[in-house]
Amino acid sequence: MQTSGPGHERWQDATAAYVLGALDEAERDAFEEHLAGCPACREEVDELLPAAHALPMSVDPVEPPPSLKARIMAEVEREASLLAAAGPEADRPPAAPERRRRFTLRVPRLVPSVVAAALLVIGIAIGVGAAALRGEPERTVTAQVSGAPGASLQVELSGHEGRLTARGLPAPPRGRVYQVWLKREGHAAEPTAAMFLPSRDGAATASVPGSMEGVDQVMITDEPDGGSPQPTGRLLAVADLS
Amino acid sequence: MQLVRRGKAAAFEVVYERHASAAFSLAYRIVGTRNGAEDVSQEAFLSIWRSGARYDRGRGSVRSWVLGIVHHRAIDHLRRATVHDKRRASDEGMEERFEARERTDTEVARRDEAQTVRRAMETLPADQCQVIELAYFGGFTHTEIADMLETPVGTVKGRMRLGLKKLRDRLGEGAVMR
Repeated sequence: MQTSGPGHERWQDATAAYVLGALDEAERDAFEEHLAGCPACREEVDELLPAAHALPMSVDPVEPPPSLKARIMAEVEREASLLAAAGPEADRPPAAPERRRRFTLRVPRLVPSVVAAALLVIGIAIGVGAAALRGEPERTVTAQVSGAPGASLQVELSGHEGRLTARGLPAPPRGRVYQVWLKREGHAAEPTAAMFLPSRDGAATASVPGSMEGVDQVMITDEPDGGSPQPTGRLLAVADLS
Repeated sequence: MQLVRRGKAAAFEVVYERHASAAFSLAYRIVGTRNGAEDVSQEAFLSIWRSGARYDRGRGSVRSWVLGIVHHRAIDHLRRATVHDKRRASDEGMEERFEARERTDTEVARRDEAQTVRRAMETLPADQCQVIELAYFGGFTHTEIADMLETPVGTVKGRMRLGLKKLRDRLGEGAVMR
């Protein structure tokens, strides 16, 4: 039996509520303060924790959709590359998996003709702000977004990736995600593994690892969850890099 | 101990792969919608990533640690959510799409594990099981539970404590907890 700390009488029966997360915020803070000075309560918390840790194991397994991983990893890779650029001790993000660029497909000239009328041309902005952070020249291109008034989408280019930042995007149709495509002059659009869903306020980020050299256009379409080898959905945006 | 060094996307991806399914399942059990569970899982994993994934080995397994963060976020989500958030009953339609997937060995193992824990919970007296579930999965505080059940707070806390102790004993020295 361990010795108890000050205020033990008040707190001794709160151990289980604490490990279950059933104390309100103020109580939890006060209890943790008590815990720091009370070996008896610490011992009991340690004794009860394994049972609390077993509780989540009792739930029915439900698989997360692949788009969740795509969304989380896009953000993680974006932040990783910022960190890599920020300090010499940080590492570069891992190279893009090979499968991203394996496909070569023919894409009909859907870009200019089909959507030109609906395009909301926002113009092109050249940004230098991020260049200082990254330590290399960087260019920011504003995409033309179609059929989504108020939406904006920017592509930032650096030597080793393209990064998309968007605001005010509509959600894609149910069960679909936005996918990023790279178009080079005289070649079919290449699919990328960059897929994303905007958050509820319409904000989204995605990154396309690899050099953007020779890429004329970055396109975004909505595709079935998991992506497509060739564009099937509506064209949401086009960024002209050339 | 630092599990994922800050900036190591590949190391983080391994943590995600290993625990995403358990994390999503827990979030779904607590918040009750796929959209909510996605939001909660995303918040939890990004916070793990951003923290440089520090965890205290003395406090248990990586899984328990990850699930602790998910639990915390899910309860937060629940407490923030308002009634009109009970939207999207159509959420459920998406279920089969993901459940129809082929089951891997890990999934089978987890179903077995789930059974073991559930069986242990079923052996608890109903009033103890009830307060534990209301607290852990329902996100209610002990005072809310006391109000709900019209029972003194002290009794509620006592039931939680007895129930958890029994559960621990039934699960046999934490063998299931890895």
